[in-house]
Amino acid sequence: MGQYDALLKPLRIKNLTIRNRVMSTSHAPGYARDGQVTDRYIRYHEEKAKGGVGLTQFGGATATSIENSIDYGQLNGADDSIIAGYRRMADAIHRHGAACMVQIRHGGRRERWDIANWLPVYAPSAMREPVHRSFPAAMDAHDIKRVQNDYVQAARRARDGGLDGVEVSCANQTLIDQFWSPDVNHRSDKYGGSLENRMRFGLEILEGARKAVGVDFVMGIRMSGDEMIKQGLSQDDCIAIARAYVKSGLIDFVSVIAAQGRDYRSNAISYVGMDAPPAAHLHLASAIKAEIDLPVFHALRITDPATANRALEEGHVDMVGMTRALISDPHFVNKLREGRDDDIRQCVGAVYCIDRVLQAKDALCIQNPSTSREGALPHNVAKAPRKRRVVVVGAGVAGLEAARVSAERGHEVVLFEREAQTGGQVNLATKVAWRESLSGIPRWLDDQVRKLDVDLRLSAAPTADQVRAEKPDVVVIATGGRPNPGHFKGAELATTTWDILSGRVAPAERVLLVDDHGADQAPSVGEFMAERGAQVEIVTPERQILSEVGMINFSAYLRRLYARGVVITPDTGVVEVYREGNTLVAVLRNEFTLQEEERVVDQVVAEHGTLPNDELYQALRPHSSNDGEIDMRALVDGKVQAIRHNPEAVFQLFRVGDAWTSRNIHAAIYDSLRLCKDL
Amino acid sequence: MIPLQWLIGICVVVGAVCALWRARRWFRGQPAKVDFVRGLMRYPRSYFVDLHHIVARDPYTARMHMMVAGGFTAALLLTLAVHLFNIDSRVLAWLLLVFLALMGVGAAFVAMRRSPKRARLSAGGFSRLPWSLFAFAAAFFLATLPKAGLVASFAALSVPGIVVLLLAAWGCAEMVAFLPLGPMKHSFAGAMHLICHPRFARLGAARPDSGLKPLDLSAPKLGVETPADFKWNQLLGFDACVQCGRCEVVCPAFAAELPLNPKKLIQDLARAVDPGGNDLAYAGSSYPGRSVGHAHGGPSQPIIGDGAMIHPDTLWSCTTCRACVQECPMMIEHVDAIIDLRRFQALEKGAVPGKAPLVLAELRATDTQSGAALASRLDWAADLSLPLISTKGECDVLLWLGEGAFDLRNQRTLRALVRLMRHAKIDFAVLGEEELDTGDLARRLGDEATFQDLAKRNAATLAKYRFRRIVTADPHVFHSLRNEYPAFGARHEVLHHTMLLDELMTNGALPKTKAQPTKTTYHDPCYLGRYNGEIRAPRAILDAIGVERVEMERSGMRSMCCGGGGGAPVTDIAGKKRIPDVRMEQARETGAAVVAVACPNCAVMLEGVVGPRPEIFDVAELLLQAVEAA
Repeated sequence: MGQYDALLKPLRIKNLTIRNRVMSTSHAPGYARDGQVTDRYIRYHEEKAKGGVGLTQFGGATATSIENSIDYGQLNGADDSIIAGYRRMADAIHRHGAACMVQIRHGGRRERWDIANWLPVYAPSAMREPVHRSFPAAMDAHDIKRVQNDYVQAARRARDGGLDGVEVSCANQTLIDQFWSPDVNHRSDKYGGSLENRMRFGLEILEGARKAVGVDFVMGIRMSGDEMIKQGLSQDDCIAIARAYVKSGLIDFVSVIAAQGRDYRSNAISYVGMDAPPAAHLHLASAIKAEIDLPVFHALRITDPATANRALEEGHVDMVGMTRALISDPHFVNKLREGRDDDIRQCVGAVYCIDRVLQAKDALCIQNPSTSREGALPHNVAKAPRKRRVVVVGAGVAGLEAARVSAERGHEVVLFEREAQTGGQVNLATKVAWRESLSGIPRWLDDQVRKLDVDLRLSAAPTADQVRAEKPDVVVIATGGRPNPGHFKGAELATTTWDILSGRVAPAERVLLVDDHGADQAPSVGEFMAERGAQVEIVTPERQILSEVGMINFSAYLRRLYARGVVITPDTGVVEVYREGNTLVAVLRNEFTLQEEERVVDQVVAEHGTLPNDELYQALRPHSSNDGEIDMRALVDGKVQAIRHNPEAVFQLFRVGDAWTSRNIHAAIYDSLRLCKDL
Repeated sequence: MIPLQWLIGICVVVGAVCALWRARRWFRGQPAKVDFVRGLMRYPRSYFVDLHHIVARDPYTARMHMMVAGGFTAALLLTLAVHLFNIDSRVLAWLLLVFLALMGVGAAFVAMRRSPKRARLSAGGFSRLPWSLFAFAAAFFLATLPKAGLVASFAALSVPGIVVLLLAAWGCAEMVAFLPLGPMKHSFAGAMHLICHPRFARLGAARPDSGLKPLDLSAPKLGVETPADFKWNQLLGFDACVQCGRCEVVCPAFAAELPLNPKKLIQDLARAVDPGGNDLAYAGSSYPGRSVGHAHGGPSQPIIGDGAMIHPDTLWSCTTCRACVQECPMMIEHVDAIIDLRRFQALEKGAVPGKAPLVLAELRATDTQSGAALASRLDWAADLSLPLISTKGECDVLLWLGEGAFDLRNQRTLRALVRLMRHAKIDFAVLGEEELDTGDLARRLGDEATFQDLAKRNAATLAKYRFRRIVTADPHVFHSLRNEYPAFGARHEVLHHTMLLDELMTNGALPKTKAQPTKTTYHDPCYLGRYNGEIRAPRAILDAIGVERVEMERSGMRSMCCGGGGGAPVTDIAGKKRIPDVRMEQARETGAAVVAVACPNCAVMLEGVVGPRPEIFDVAELLLQAVEAA
């Protein structure tokens, strides 16, 4: 029997046969526009279908009612205009043999009132919701009737749109689970009080929906296995609810999540990131599966095929949600079926995708820029019409991707790396224990580059002459950057974050950490130093640290920083650092009052992004045909780079990643992919 | 020359007695249905066409044998005329001189062939043979010179007379008197074997006669335990072995240094017939890893066993690839003997090694080799919606999926095949849960009971439905259904998928393809090529899609096994190397980037080779790529 038999076994639910047990659970990647399905959204899901997935659930949190705010680029399922979009989505997915379902929900108090139709948000009781900072109106009997009917109509639209099923969300604090949860439901009518009463609202919706969609249509619910808050639903409550809902005979599957979504911390548990082990909440799904006779779905940091297969084989679940795993590699299942499991680009759990959505941006994969850009950047790089010789300097993620894509194009590729290993700055980021899995990003690239027979030359930093001696047609400079402590007076006295993470400089006892970046770097180093016994104060001129980091990761950082006694001082910049005896004195200034104060510390660690390592680039420019210039219009439009300033010169010169300017992992990989796919 | 006359006369009589003496041991075997008259009538064709066709694959040996055998046979008859019956004729004498000269030259070729010494050729009596041939030729050449009028006649007691007599004594002893006992035995036993061949249908057949015959499961003893359990003409076949070692050279197990050498196996079987039989006189290559001298047997002693004539590891090393059968110039049926022996081990002793007992148990319990539920045979195809014949009732092509449907690797092949059939708008269906394992593996492992049980039940299922023909991507299934199921009443037209795809390409049913200029070598599956003679269709497909086709040194009917047949992967007898590694090395030598296969076992065996190697694709996968690229 094969290694992945359990994973590749079809599942039958009523008349629906799902070809294997891998699914993408409902999520909101933010690709809808004005509540409607877009081409981008369709291509994003179609790619998973093409890649062999069994079931893809789209429309995470599709709105049911007119007051819903659709503030994360979700679908608006509250009127019949959505049906045409459903049909287009269904056709695209069915074409490749996968099944598809939509998720519907009313957000209750988890909505904003100031975006869509400026209607009040509703909840079972008037309890403020912290993330959206909303003050909901308590629902009257007529509100309940109206909203229940909205749900029923939304479910009918799923059927009318030719989908294979509908998932009614009762998870992440939608209206139905707000009714369930004693944390939010303080009602005294037949919808409040006992668990039976609290379950009524949802059951009545499902009853109506079942009548509307008919007995053959697949309908299920998504719910938490344990709300994990004192005043909320316990695991026993959740199991009792699951049993009652299954017993009603109205539903066909139960999809299980963990925790709920009432606040930042809770969201961070619900969307576990790299700080959690694989399959962190599988036990919750398993406990419900043990109690019910319907298929159980579950997703949460199940990123590799072995774990997924085990979850099925051991009977914990019936479908494995590999939502993020499919974002980093939509061809996951096909690669398994083709015996190419080593080629799967495995999700590292960086939560870049979700954090972007939670920052009201579109979801993007930290390591796979093709995801959701399928129209312009196909996942499989096509062969170039003619073979060229490409020299890439620097094997950080930008250089590795440039080499990988060029090799996939069929070019002859030389890749230089100054260090003895590839990976560049990402290797530093992995020094913080819980962020170690970031190493998966360069590891996959390194593996691919070697498989593609790239001439990888480690511990080699070529001069301009050496690069030219390679007789390249194209030179890609991916030499990255070097740490910049900032521009305050005495900055040279500061230690860089790289010095600390690389172990070159040990953290001192009293440390002032200056964060002029706003992303992961300084908080990572702060935790790293505190973990090693330093008393750390982080100062930032911004209103908070981690402004550039979304809810899941900033929650993880803050939990750790506070637990280790790190002091965070916002709205405060550094003016000057000077030495006094054995200590350093930092002069700080409040950004608003301009009042100054001093800190006497043993070490000042400063984070201010990187400065490009562009010496080689500058030295090669005069010899290049394009003077190192990138045609940005061509880059964005996916056209061939054709700038020629120096007709005699034989090679084109480009720079990517931080060698261009200080940005992030996604930007570095994206630079290389979109440049090199047209080389 | 009275003494010479006497010598010839005595040798002829002794020869006849020895022949009877030798033949006596064959009749220790079981009776067999033999049409002696038909065999005799067909003999010239069997010898000069069927057998010569095999011998001629080695042109040197063929010429050598023609001179020696032809020269000797004619010379012997003329010698009897000229020297025994004293017919005084210059013409006969001259003719005799010519044939003896031919024989003498042939003997020189025999000697040259053995120098320097070649591993595959046995020593012992065979080392002496060229000199015996030469002695015979020289003796009678000298003795005939006076009769041809070229020299004066000489007295028997003169120096030339004594030289002639001594040479003649040596030559006649080897070539006439003790012919049935020494290395020349092959001529006598070989001729008898051709006349009484256990697979007489093989002679002159258009395609290989390779199907195993059903075993009577109600017999008091199942399979072969002792030499006496073989059919008498099988024992005769073993005696025909000329120890040329052609089988040894082609045997994949021998090449990978598993403890099997088909030549020694046949020799051991031949010697086991004698009371107190042993292998001490065997002078060829031994079983790899085992030295000569440990074999002990007798006509009613068990052949297989530790310390018996043949070690169980030798028996289970065979992949049933039939390369030895294909090469044997004496047309010995090695694989039939192996299966007969395995049948006793499996059915009477339950002594099947390695993981084979587990697989057989799964077959008995679940009707699949892997123990999978029958319904899960279609798991891989959930998104292809394969039509079931139980729903359709009838179809043009019944697609037999086989065990490959449970295996990730071969699901890709099946997927490609289904897509191609859909492109060609073939009206096909599958059996779904009703398809049981064909039992091929059980049969090769000697478990005839499980095979027959499966075969009967499959035959009954097939009888329920109407279809024009069966298509399968598994040559083992193909062979079973085509050649071995008719004995159980299932007579259907069966095609290997490459035969169907070739047909679809030829009649234009498939869309146009785009040329795939990859350097590709095709590895013939034994059960498609040697077992069924189909070596053309897969190559025709590869040529049609424009690959740069290169052949391995061993290909077509003389291809080498991947190691995946005969249950070898489950009996898993250790060798110094792995058979697929040996085969892959041959593929690497062609410089091909792709090895095209046409068998699920080959795909798995060859893909299991580690390190840099060509990619493995089934012919169907390559064809689909070419169709989809267009």
